[in-house]
Amino acid sequence: MELWHELMEFYIREAWLLDERRFREWLDLFTEDVFYFMPRRLNVHRHETDRELTPVGDLAIFEDDKTYLTMRVERLETGMAWGEDPPSRTRHIVGNLVVDPQPDGEVQAKTAFLLYRSHHETEENLFSGYREDLLRPVDGSWQIARRTIVLDSNVILAKNLSVFF
Amino acid sequence: MVAVDRKHQIIDLETGQLDRRIFVDPDIYAEEQEKVFGRAWLMIGHESLVPNTNDFFHTYMGEEPVILCRDGRGNLRAYLNMCRHRGNRIVRTDVGNSRNFACAYHGWTFSNEGALEYVPGDEEAYYGALDRDCLGLVEARVDTYAGIVFATWDHGAPSLDDYLGDARWLLDVSFNRLDNGTEAIGPIKWIEPLNWKTAVDNCSDNYHVPTTHLSTIIVQGRHRGIPRLTHEQQFQSENKHLFVNGHSLTMRFLERADQVRQTHGVTPENLAAFEEYYRATLPEAERRLGSLRTRLNLGNHSLFPNGVLGLRLAHPRGPLETEFWHFVVLEKDMPDELKTALRRGSANYNGVNGIFEQDDMDNWRGVTESGLTRMGRKYTQDLSMGVGHDRRHPDYPGVVAGRYTSESNQRLFYRRWEQFMNADNWEDIPLEPKAMDYEGTATLRG
Ligand code: FES
Ligand SMILES: [Fe+2]
Repeated sequence: MELWHELMEFYIREAWLLDERRFREWLDLFTEDVFYFMPRRLNVHRHETDRELTPVGDLAIFEDDKTYLTMRVERLETGMAWGEDPPSRTRHIVGNLVVDPQPDGEVQAKTAFLLYRSHHETEENLFSGYREDLLRPVDGSWQIARRTIVLDSNVILAKNLSVFF
Repeated sequence: MVAVDRKHQIIDLETGQLDRRIFVDPDIYAEEQEKVFGRAWLMIGHESLVPNTNDFFHTYMGEEPVILCRDGRGNLRAYLNMCRHRGNRIVRTDVGNSRNFACAYHGWTFSNEGALEYVPGDEEAYYGALDRDCLGLVEARVDTYAGIVFATWDHGAPSLDDYLGDARWLLDVSFNRLDNGTEAIGPIKWIEPLNWKTAVDNCSDNYHVPTTHLSTIIVQGRHRGIPRLTHEQQFQSENKHLFVNGHSLTMRFLERADQVRQTHGVTPENLAAFEEYYRATLPEAERRLGSLRTRLNLGNHSLFPNGVLGLRLAHPRGPLETEFWHFVVLEKDMPDELKTALRRGSANYNGVNGIFEQDDMDNWRGVTESGLTRMGRKYTQDLSMGVGHDRRHPDYPGVVAGRYTSESNQRLFYRRWEQFMNADNWEDIPLEPKAMDYEGTATLRG
């Protein structure tokens, strides 16, 4: 229960970092060897749901390492990343936390999220999904060593995914 | 040829002025579905998406839902995804493997060779009077270019070979380099709030890159060691931009035979491995493409009407909406490590979240929506850059723009669109005869 509270607080803090656009601090939550991954989600028959999520090695939506994530954040700082300038207004709501401590001290943590995004004058997107993280204890806190993000959509109903999950 | 009373006169080639209504007018949009998407050869997938007999992959030809499958005999077929009874979709998944398609409404069942095989109550309810032979699936003509599958609804359309024409002369350097060919993975699918034509004309626009994509060019220089183009390199480049049958091809000269062919996914760490790969495959490429073409690289390009940058498709979804599909095409023989780099690079640079592409959509939307207002429509779009400087070149196919950066691409794309929209049938649509020397062994089929 203590771990659950600790991690819930971790995720709430992460959500505020994103919504307050403190992306450098958000980047520091990830290990140097992080794998930030969003598979595609196929529309398949019930008896073929093992094919629903594309595996690593197939074309993914996000397949970032720390350098790609850093490039995304540094882009925004140039003031010329036009897809996010003016920036999106986002709200990350994170919950349904399930923690699964591993024998080596790392923790598997699963959360559900709703991400609301408003852009320019009247554009709106709502992204729903879940995240599976591998958390590593580092200097008395936690870092994300692997994040898999699964959207609850097939065709993504947004012009782009210029926000973070 | 229809010349005197052309209905659609939207682009003036002498002045480069374009009528903005083509992006927003619902009547024009409806006519496009018939005259452009109903006639053209459209990219719909890749052979590698349906490797085994009875595999199917759900795709689109414009707005039309289409089942691409490999039938029991191994032939590629493309059917309108529409039950011939009341019109329900008979396939509701993205992929699968099935010898037949059963409609979930009343149970009519079609084989993957298109025949209506089973009708519940055939004898009793229909009194044996249903003519099943006339109720097979609606089928499109299918052909392939180097593994990429194309289809058309128009049985009067020319062959795919003639449709591509000498565009293939340069497309080959990207898609037809090696004996073992390519494979496609994907697609990533998303909806963009813009007219499909703005996305297509932009993906072969060399002018926007240093402005639209500057933020990514800067961080790419910092982390990937790829230098920013100088003003000279951008505006006085020796590279060429070619136009054949409405297709647009940016042609770049390789400085060295082992130079990497694309930059998305290439890092200082894997650069040597890429160069080694291109060195090792050079003799094979030369045998297939000859010595001139192995020194060329294909840059930004589009295939009329809605294919851009390889196998990426802009499916129309109403005048103000486009469903974009992003596939990645990889050479099968490439080592896994390099395939991984290109796969990640392609999606991370150009997918729905691409650090290049995410800066494009708002521009396309702005261009689209400028046609919505009374005042906006009063003023034409200016596509005058380089008017009067297009040439023929003895060594290269099609029309060659005077410079690497010009708006010849847009002018000729919209002229091609006009030709389709003003034609009564394929007889009225001009095709450039093939004139290039295809040195080497590569053919249309691979
Ligand atoms: S609509 Fe398909 S069986 Fe009736
Ligand atoms: Fe672009």
